[in-house]
Amino acid sequence: MPRVEGYRTGRLENIIGKHMSELNFGLEERILNSKDELAQREALLTSRGLMVPEGEELVLGLFVGEQLVATGALVRNVLQGIAVDIDYEGEGISAAIVSSLIRRAVDRGITQVFLYTISEDISRFESLGFRKVAAVPRGAALLEWGTAGIESYLASIRALAKDKPDHAGAVVINCNPFTLGHRYLIEYASSHVPWLYVLVVEEDRSLFPFKVRYKLVQEGVADLRNVTVMKGGPYIISSATFPTYFIRPDVNKASWKAVRMHASLDVSIFRTHIAPALKVTDRFVGTEPYCPTTSIYNDIMKIILQAKETEAFGLDAKTPPVALHEIPRFELWGTPVSASKVRDMIREGNLSEVQKFVPGTTWDWLKSEEAAPVIERIRQSDSRH
Amino acid sequence: MRVLKSVTAGSLESSDVLVTITPVSEDHIEYDIESIVIKQYGKRIRQITEEMAESAGITGARIHVQDRGALECTLRARLETAIERSIVC
Repeated sequence: MPRVEGYRTGRLENIIGKHMSELNFGLEERILNSKDELAQREALLTSRGLMVPEGEELVLGLFVGEQLVATGALVRNVLQGIAVDIDYEGEGISAAIVSSLIRRAVDRGITQVFLYTISEDISRFESLGFRKVAAVPRGAALLEWGTAGIESYLASIRALAKDKPDHAGAVVINCNPFTLGHRYLIEYASSHVPWLYVLVVEEDRSLFPFKVRYKLVQEGVADLRNVTVMKGGPYIISSATFPTYFIRPDVNKASWKAVRMHASLDVSIFRTHIAPALKVTDRFVGTEPYCPTTSIYNDIMKIILQAKETEAFGLDAKTPPVALHEIPRFELWGTPVSASKVRDMIREGNLSEVQKFVPGTTWDWLKSEEAAPVIERIRQSDSRH
Repeated sequence: MRVLKSVTAGSLESSDVLVTITPVSEDHIEYDIESIVIKQYGKRIRQITEEMAESAGITGARIHVQDRGALECTLRARLETAIERSIVC
């Protein structure tokens, strides 16, 4: 199949006009599996300055003959790694690949789809019905597709904060599971602000299921009168805003670049959208002694939440800064108390030791029948989460 | 007839329309119409969508129409396909 020569910019219609037969018979959609196809696809991504996404479940390709001209992947509810060969560029082909990925997502029951792209390409996807959630100038952008978007989410949290005081604080935690360290952080934060929102990461990809994590936080802080425990929702450390949070990054540099990019978007969504909706002016976080991903996240929060120069981060000039308070980890006998330490103890079968590091509410649950399958899973896993 | 599952028909390509139907817990039908020619044809697109949903007798659905400049016959074909898919188990 001959290549369409001399075509650089313009619309698909132009190509179709000139090379109707080639494209009509040649544009074939395939799921990419073979080593060879995936290598072609990596070359295409690289040629467009993109990284190969991690944790992807479905990789699609559009072919003209044996040549891969466009690709895109579905990673849970996120479209990633979308690229069109520069010789075939035109909104027609990206629309074809995006439509097909959306169809496959909807077939899997996913009705809200996110997409990562570079800021320069935002308008191209806006014309396909995507809406911008956050963007870093000359960097990455997160867009969404579907009827329920960030606006309806913000309306729901605004309603929750309606009768609560201004200048509130926020803590975002996974609590996998809830330990005395979390309790210490929340207690400290709640004593420094008139009201505190505890947002529990909702993505169900941790060893302790969300329902259990949420319940243990609620029980663990029930005595604190100025605290609201709430679901983190789809815009805080979720598979959309921070997909690399849930996988163990490779040691290579590219993965860390992705972690930084996702962390930056996640934090700017918090500052521009979530903090104003909850009237939050302060965010509290524990220092991170063990996990490099969380430690990068903390560093980026320090910069983006507090930045006065809003423009460099693509933030609306009107968004007020959010003060970040990094609280030293609660320690017992010289050991920082963290959920990952507690999971290690469970893995080693050291349950009696666990009791010293978690509040009574968490301990009671760990002894319950419901906990048995979770404990079993922890013993057999080496997951970071 | 209740809508049973999330489906799409059509595409976001130029001159096509992407129809997405999702089940909702309420009994009514919610419409969400987007079009690149919303000013000229928005009303007509909504009218056709409502008409076809009603005559098919579906309930408990959100119908999301993203029009990229489709002809009326294309819109009708996409709606018919999506409705049919959404009620088949």
